[in-house]
Amino acid sequence: MIQIVEKRDGRVVGYNEEKIKAAIRKAMLQTDLGEDEALIQKIADRVGMNGHQRMTVEEIQDRVEFELMKSKRKDVAKRYIAYRDQRSIARQAKTRDMFLEIIEAKSNDITRENANMNTDSPAGMMMKFASETTKPFVDDYLLSTPVKNAVKNNYIHIHDKDYYPTKSLTCVQHPLDRILKNGFVAGHGESRPAKRIETASVIACISLETAQNEMHGGQAIPALDFYLAPFVRASFIEEVKNLEQLVDKDLSHLYDAKFPDYLRKPLDNLEGDERLLQHAINKTVGRVHQSMEAFIHNMNTIHSRGGNQVVFSSVNYGTDTSAEGRCVIREMLNSTYEGVGNGATAIFPIQIWKKKRGVSYLPEDPNYDLYQLACKVTARRFFPNFLNLDATFNQHEDWREDDPKRYLNEVATMGCRTRVFENRFGEKTSVGRGNLSFTTINIVRLAIEVMNIPDKGERIARFFEKFDKVLDITARQLDERFQFQKTAYAKQFPLVMSVLWNHSEKIGPNDTIESVINQGTLGIGFIGLAECLIALVGKHHGESEEAQELGLRIVSHMRDRVNEYCDAYKHNYSVLATPAEGLSGKFTKVDRKVFGVIPGVTDKDYYTNSNHVPVYYHCSPRHKAKIEAPYHDLTRGGHIFYVEIDGDATHNEEAIMQIVDMMDKYNIGYGSVNHNRNHCPKCGYENAEKDQHSCPKCGTKFETIQRITGYLVGTTDRWNSGKLAELNDRVVHQ
Amino acid sequence: MRGTTVDGPGFRTSLYLAGCDHRCPGCHNPSSWDRYAGTPMTIDEIIDIVREEDFDVTLSGGDPLLNPESTARLVAALKGDGRNVWIFTGFRWEDIVEVPSLLAAVREADVVVDGPFIEALKDPDLLFRGSSNQRLIDVAQTLENNRIVLYGH
Repeated sequence: MIQIVEKRDGRVVGYNEEKIKAAIRKAMLQTDLGEDEALIQKIADRVGMNGHQRMTVEEIQDRVEFELMKSKRKDVAKRYIAYRDQRSIARQAKTRDMFLEIIEAKSNDITRENANMNTDSPAGMMMKFASETTKPFVDDYLLSTPVKNAVKNNYIHIHDKDYYPTKSLTCVQHPLDRILKNGFVAGHGESRPAKRIETASVIACISLETAQNEMHGGQAIPALDFYLAPFVRASFIEEVKNLEQLVDKDLSHLYDAKFPDYLRKPLDNLEGDERLLQHAINKTVGRVHQSMEAFIHNMNTIHSRGGNQVVFSSVNYGTDTSAEGRCVIREMLNSTYEGVGNGATAIFPIQIWKKKRGVSYLPEDPNYDLYQLACKVTARRFFPNFLNLDATFNQHEDWREDDPKRYLNEVATMGCRTRVFENRFGEKTSVGRGNLSFTTINIVRLAIEVMNIPDKGERIARFFEKFDKVLDITARQLDERFQFQKTAYAKQFPLVMSVLWNHSEKIGPNDTIESVINQGTLGIGFIGLAECLIALVGKHHGESEEAQELGLRIVSHMRDRVNEYCDAYKHNYSVLATPAEGLSGKFTKVDRKVFGVIPGVTDKDYYTNSNHVPVYYHCSPRHKAKIEAPYHDLTRGGHIFYVEIDGDATHNEEAIMQIVDMMDKYNIGYGSVNHNRNHCPKCGYENAEKDQHSCPKCGTKFETIQRITGYLVGTTDRWNSGKLAELNDRVVHQ
Repeated sequence: MRGTTVDGPGFRTSLYLAGCDHRCPGCHNPSSWDRYAGTPMTIDEIIDIVREEDFDVTLSGGDPLLNPESTARLVAALKGDGRNVWIFTGFRWEDIVEVPSLLAAVREADVVVDGPFIEALKDPDLLFRGSSNQRLIDVAQTLENNRIVLYGH
């Protein structure tokens, strides 16, 4: 007698005779002779009684088919078989359609989920197949029931769910000095410690690329200037040694020569040591420039992850005031300004200027000249972004001006925005740490569900009740993933878990990562604060003080709850202002299907980025700064402030500096300027005209650079529909 | 307009003053030719709006010099409020200095962008102006040296 049924997806359920009866009845209804209740019962009894104790669905259906064939109703058997076939095809159709879409290199939201990925290449397709088939596996076997329901009901989105089974972590800030000093083994090559700037820059690339294959998020260097500075001096000494051979004289007294800056100067009228010194400096600057150029070039061309994705790379710099550090910064900026190839804007690495009073911001600061250069570069190339080390929450109590390793106490960011700094289980630092995983809450959905409650107080109270429930589930989900991730062995992430991740040197390749994983953060994100507020009080936070007050209440509440979870689960939870590339349109589509078009809420194809004032809303940049600033302190898992400016930013570097001034004044943590840049791939002509699609000089189609969730893309061909809709709605802040 | 970056350095509040008799072909703002097109406002009201931001100010239009007396008072009020002031006008500098009321309107401003827009000389790559005959004139330097000194020189 059948008692247990094994379903197709492996789940086990109790035997239910009614299901067999319903299927036979359905088949009978499609025949001319119609229903025969007695026969239905007879077959159901036979199958149920004669079957084994545990059977699969397919086995049971075979039995039904067999019984029907034995009966005189062969017509029903025929229908039943046809019905089985149809069902089987229908079950596979979804997978098939998805596969076909990928195969045909169609542009849709599956293949455009990630604007940085080339899903048209064979490796890219292979990865997309894997990614799309992994997601249902995760749903069925790795998520607990309440979590699965929360995902199904569109309350939460688990980021990088396709990577879930691999136990990979999200991202890490590379402590490059460990690798440069000791060398490392990657693939079949063992690399020795670096001795000169060229090798150091290549090793930096390899480190980023290798780690990208071991993780599912971005890779960053927290202090490019500090890490590479020693190799500038090493290269300089090499140049002096070359001269020693040339002039056949001992020049060792020049090895430690002190000079304020590595600047190229003509040798005219210079004699003796002065001339030799300047020559060595000139040679060194040339080498540093080429190394930075090579670094940028490599980061835009070396593909990782099966060869379909360049590394999501970021570099932070700006605070090293040594002549060598300044040389690295200057040449990095100069190379970026020049561009790659025929002067095109480099998409990677994302560059981040570490703005700090007394170091790299005020006119009297040692790196003020480089800060000015950074503003000039960003006006043309969108990078660097600006990280405000002076924001109250970005400061570190142990930072000392004369500490050679002070960068360990400077916040650094993944360019997309991810911020890791505070630490309940060790040193407060960004270096050697990263995020473990993110999950984002659809707060718009929660607001829509209560928006018809007429009494405002009750409406908001109900919203918070629902919010609390979803927050609890999210914290639990992140903990579940954490418990799964921690069972990974260090050898699964050979570079990350032997060198890069803090304390990983204490574990062996066959140890699990359990003892060190708590250095990372678990991000609880939110999206669509603007739409959420419109649903709750009719207006968003950019246009109403009441809405702003409620917005701050919502995110403060989130912050408070997240602190409770830190204590309860013993993890570094943090609040993330989610940029949500793939998510931008996903939540909205489902909510619109369920609730219809709600003006100001589901009437666009996307939900607004985290706590941002909606992109379609006209307001001055200062108003935007004032409104968004207080959220930065609340979202320590990452945030970014954007200003969209009109006109040609290269004509107006003052405006860029004013934006940084606003960040300084209003305590904004991280920010960047969005503008338009057209580049002619043929003649190199550039302008900022919004609606110009081809070069006015030679007629070639322009490449227009745009920013998507923190990353630049040269064309919008790979943007998904939600993000494209958002781009079209963006207004200039004026 | 609050926070534009195309009418002078940095973010600026641009004030569009109605009325212009130059009627340049290809004008980007012909709706402002009519001197009754705008909303009447007192200088105090304008200053209140300007004070909502700490941006510098550009007077455009229209042509701010169509009503030189009120423009002079507006510029004085803006300078009194510590603002850097740019004026866009269709008159040429050489003509402005000949007419006492026009000169009075611009003499306290920081920069005057002068001359009509000439479509044949249009070049979108120019800094803060439409056609290449137009000049960014540093007012203080020009008056002091008694010859035209361009902004940034």
